[in-house]
Formats: sequence, C-alpha cells, structure tokens
Amino acid sequence: MHRLLVRQIRRLFGDVETLPARLNPLFDAISESYNQADTDRAMIERSLDIASQEMLEQNRKLVSELNAREAAESQIQWLANYDGLTGLANRNLLSDRLGQAIAGAQRQTRKFAVLILGLDHFKLINESLGYAIGNELLKITSERLGSCVRGNDTVARLGGDEFALIFLDSRDNGPVSYPTSIGADDEFEGHLVEILQRLLKTVSGPVILSDKELQVTCSIGLALYPQDGAEGENLLKNADSAMNSAKQLGKNTFQFYTSDISARIEARLEMQGQLRVAIERNEFVLHYQPQLDLCTGYIIGVEALVRWNHPKLGMVPPILFIGLAEETGLIVPIGAWVIRTACEQCKAWQRDGFGKLRMAVNLSVRQFAQPDLVDYIASVLKETDLEPQWLEVELTESLVMNNVEQSIEILQRLKQLGLQMSIDDFGTGYSSLAYLKRFPIDLLKIDQSFVRDILSSDDAAIVKAIISMAHSLGLMVIAEGVETEAQCEFLQQNMCDEIQGYLFSKPIDAKEMAEILRIGKRLPTKLLRSGEKKRTL
Amino acid sequence: MAIGLYGKHISVGYGSLGGWDSFGPEREITRSDGNVLFDLDGKPALDLYRHYLGEHAAGLPATGLLFPLSLRYSDREDSAQKPAGGVVRTILGIDEAAKSMTFAGDMPRGGYVRLMKANFDRLIDGASDAARISVEPLQGQTAQLALLISCVGRKLVLNQRVEEEVESVREVVGAKAVLTGFYSYGEISPHKKGAACELHNQTMTITTFREN
Repeated sequence: MHRLLVRQIRRLFGDVETLPARLNPLFDAISESYNQADTDRAMIERSLDIASQEMLEQNRKLVSELNAREAAESQIQWLANYDGLTGLANRNLLSDRLGQAIAGAQRQTRKFAVLILGLDHFKLINESLGYAIGNELLKITSERLGSCVRGNDTVARLGGDEFALIFLDSRDNGPVSYPTSIGADDEFEGHLVEILQRLLKTVSGPVILSDKELQVTCSIGLALYPQDGAEGENLLKNADSAMNSAKQLGKNTFQFYTSDISARIEARLEMQGQLRVAIERNEFVLHYQPQLDLCTGYIIGVEALVRWNHPKLGMVPPILFIGLAEETGLIVPIGAWVIRTACEQCKAWQRDGFGKLRMAVNLSVRQFAQPDLVDYIASVLKETDLEPQWLEVELTESLVMNNVEQSIEILQRLKQLGLQMSIDDFGTGYSSLAYLKRFPIDLLKIDQSFVRDILSSDDAAIVKAIISMAHSLGLMVIAEGVETEAQCEFLQQNMCDEIQGYLFSKPIDAKEMAEILRIGKRLPTKLLRSGEKKRTL
Repeated sequence: MAIGLYGKHISVGYGSLGGWDSFGPEREITRSDGNVLFDLDGKPALDLYRHYLGEHAAGLPATGLLFPLSLRYSDREDSAQKPAGGVVRTILGIDEAAKSMTFAGDMPRGGYVRLMKANFDRLIDGASDAARISVEPLQGQTAQLALLISCVGRKLVLNQRVEEEVESVREVVGAKAVLTGFYSYGEISPHKKGAACELHNQTMTITTFREN
C-alpha cells in the first residue's frame, strides 16, 4: 500500500487492520493511483531536468560562439584601423586622427605638422635580402618611430616603406594666433626641426639583419596645418611631395613643404606631357661623339647621344629628361627611335664614303627588359641594311648586374646577332669579375670620373688595373671623358686602346660629324702609342 | 480477409484514441531506416531514451511498452497525404550495438517525436472517448454492433484493469450493443473524421454499426 495512503488511513481511522477487509480493493486502486502519480512526477521532473541540462549546454555553446564572434569582430575592427605587420595605425585611422587634429587645432588655434617618412633604398633591401628581412626592418623602424614621439602624437604606416606622423603643437605657452608670419624662427617649427633631426638619427641607427649590420637612412617630408593645407588629404599629399623632394636632394634629410615644390611638380608633369608628344613631333636629335684609336689616331667609332630639341627651351640635355622618360616608360619608344636613327646614320656615312664606323648606342634599363628587344634590333639592322658588327650596344654596369643570369641570356642573344657589346661606366658599380668573364662583351668603358683625376690621385692605379685586367680577359678598353693631353698620354702609355672626350671633340650633330670625317681629322701623332709598343692583347 | 457492407439502411461510425501523455520536447528524426530509429537530433536515440527513462531503463525492452513515442510527420514532405495529427509508435525492440530502436510502424526521417507515458486512468478515458467519437455518426441512436480493437500493448500495461477499458466503452455505446473484438498488433483507422486511414499503435479503435 502506498505510504501516503497508509498515513492518511492511520490519521483518519486508526490502525489499517481494523478496517473491513472488503475495502481492500478500493485501497489498492487508490494506492495504484498514488503510485502512478509518483511515476508521472518523477518522469516529468527528469524530463525537465534533461531539458534544462540541454539548454545549459546550448547556452554554453552560444556563449563560446558569442565570445569567438566578439573576438573576431574586435580583430576585424583592429585590422580596419591598424597595420598588421607593425601594429601602427593604418591609413584609415590616420585619416580619423588627422580629422581630430584639424578639429582640435581649430578649437585651440594651434598648429600641427604632418610628416611622411620613407626609408631610403628600401626596395634594394627587399630585393637583395628578401621580404622577411624587409619586414623585420619595417618593424624595427616602427618601434624607433614610436620612441621619438609623445603619447598624443600619431605614428601610422601608409604601406610599403612609408610612414606618416602627426605632431601636435602641445607647448604650454598658450595658443598661437594664426596666420602669423611663418618663418624658420617660428617656435613650433624650431621644435619640429629638433624632432626631425632626432627622427633621422634614430631611424638610421645601425641594425643587425640576417647577421649583417646595416644602416638605413630615411627621407622626411613635412607639411604644416594650416598654411600647407586645410584638409587631411591635402596635408598628406603635400608632405609626400616634400618627402620626394628630400629624396631628390640626396636622401637622409628632411624637407618642409613649400609651394615651390608643387611648382616643380607641376613643371615635371608639364614636361612629361611634352615628352609624350616629342616623339610624334620628331623633336629628338642625335649627337655623336667620336671615339679614337690610340694606335692610329683615326676615328673608329662614335657614341650616339640623344638630345631633345624643345620648341621653346631649345636643346634640352639628357640629364633633364632621361630620368623622367625612364620613370614614365617613354624611354622605350625614345630608345627605339635612337637605335633606328643611329643605324640609318651609320649606313648613310658608309654610303657617303666616310668609311665604316662603329656606332655605339646606350640601352636603358627599361629597354633592356623589353621582351622584343633582340627582335627589334634585328629588324632595324635588316631594314637599314647595316652589318651587325658596326652596331655597338652600351650597357651600364648596374643594369647588367641587376639580374645577372637574365642579363647573360639577353647579352648572348644580342651577341648572336653579331653586335659589339660594351660595358659603360666601368668601375663605378658593384662589378663582379667572375660575372664579367661570363658576359659576352667586347669593350670596357672606363668611367670619366676615373679619367678626370687620373694624374692627381690613386685613380691612376685603378685605371691601370682595369686596362690590364680587361686585356687579360681579351677585352678592348676605351676611356671616356678625356679632356687633356696629359690624360691622353697617361692612357696611351698604359696601353689603353681607345679614347673619347672633349680633347678631340664634344658631341656634335650629324652635319659637323660628316665634316670632321671628310677632312680626315685625327689625333696628333705625339699622342699615339708608339709602333714598338704593341697591345698587350 | 475483407468484409464489405453496403446499403442505405446501414450507418457506420469509427473512433480511435490512445490516451497517452506526451512529455518533453519534440525531437527530430535525423537517421532512420523503415521502422528502425537510429538518431534523434543527431544523437543516438537509444541513449536519449534511456536517459529519459531513468530507473525504468533497467527493464528494457519490456518497460518500453509503458513509454511509446508520438510521431508527427515532417511538415516538409507530402503533407497532403500525411496526417497533421500525431500517431503513437510502440517499441518492439532495441539493439544495444547499433544504439537503435525498432518500432511497430515507420519512423520517417525528418519526422518529429515526443516521449509518451502511460497513465492507467487516461488510457481508460481514451477508450471511452474513442467510443464517444464512434457513435457520433449514428445521430443519437444506439449502436447495434461495436467492433473493439485494442492494442495488445494496452493489455500488457493495464494488466488487471484491462476490463475497465471494455467497461468504459460499454458505458458509452449502451447495454444493447453487441460488443466484439480482439487485441491487435496495430490498428488501422482514420485519426479523425474524413481523414485517410493510417496505422496506429496503442489505441482503442472502435467501429460501430447500426441498421435502421
């Protein structure tokens, strides 16, 4: 009998045994009903228990999912505002901070400065030591930058090797009113110069990367609010112009933005546009500088040099436009024009009976990288009917050393055409003698910087060594920039094969060149190598 | 065997009810094969079932009779043919190795099940309700014959009280009706008036006849 029923009966009727036996089936039925209720309750309780456990479990999962999601969201938030490599602010956050700086500066009529800092020759480091080392350098630089600023200044990475900094004017001597006369004596600017010098010094401190001690300098451009721009983007752009100007000034320095910079940039852009149409308008001309055989004194070749005959500026020297042409890629069509014109001229002199001269043309980096370079030269030779041995291709040392294996392949293909090949500016770059042996070249050109001081410094030893080394490798040697008889005498005594320079002639146009050839102008005999002294070759 | 009765003087009524209590949440059948159930909500069905049964689990598979499952077909597939209401499914056996349970009817994937428990009084009330539904078409006139088909499972659950089931039907159909019938392994009847016939477990299913 169910214990609850037993208790109830006891309370109401006393001992169960005293009740009539015929009531027993009723008690059984009630007892069973009580049991049933117990079972029901137990089942439902267990069911609720299971349900709540499952809900707790689900809740735990949801909480952990929520945590993961919040972490991911904050990571996204972080990535949206910070640079993943260095942990510095990124362009996005920088733009916010610039907005805040402008608002703050307006409230308090204060100034602030925007700096853009770029590492010098970073590309070279990346290419020679690898991206991992480059990234390491960027991290170190970002730490160094952080050590140069105060807490409320901003350091950001714009990408690549470029960083931006915002310096607030937080001097305590009250707000400065502006516009004031802005000069170098302005106190804030004086303070900035100190910071800039500290930045240059700190960033370029020695750093050990991949077991090498390096010193990497930087160039900084700076724009001031409000005089150099009223908006963030404008300030950044002007600071960037100033940085480029600092780089052009030889790097490892800083430049304040001036409207002069933007004038120069505009001038550059204008020249770029003019350069573009110069090819169509046929404004380029070639000048030729004779190359003389030190044994015979006769002209044996010429170097073709491009000039831009600008309708307003007159004859523009290459130094003013070749760099721009390289940057814009216009060097490729200009270079192609040079090759064709030089070949035509060389053939024309042959037809006019001036003998067979070697025509040297310079190849630029971009031209050298053109996949159709060899085909182009072959087609020009065919069209102009010039025998290939009269065309000489001059390559600078740094160009071929840039990617040695690829250079060797291109040089060999050029050599197969039957061209002559020379290395220009020899001695100025990182020449590797091991590679020099593998280049299929005919001629070494001693850079004019060695020739200039040949009599007054230890350059003499270098020139002697270059000549002797070239001869032992079976190469001819030409010295460029020969201006005096004394230089020429030194060279002929030391078995140099050819010379080129103002001593004999500056670069001249085709008409003047034809005249020199016609009269058979040559070096005076006293400057020639004497008969018994044969080439060491 | 089939018996057909026809004629304009004959009235037939039917009713089918279990009287089981559902409890706990609905769970989806995520793996099954015919009448063998493997997984509920992606977990082994037998484990879950044992968990609910607690101490009653020790008596499996016999105690399974006291705790059948209600089955609601998926809303997704051919809902026109499948009944909207639930049916009861009796456990015939369990497989410890496969963690599966075998039922006296199909357990389609995508369907929903709930646990049920027996309450003697409700089972008896269920029989009486089935009887009430079965006499409705007779429009107040008493049935002359009532065919009572009850699940053998109910007999096992109700045990000594199984007679009460018949008595509760008798109270509804009246003393004049002839009662006949048997215990079955499954009942076939529409769940409600006008619906399609389906297979039930654990119900009292009654068909009433009257000839005017």
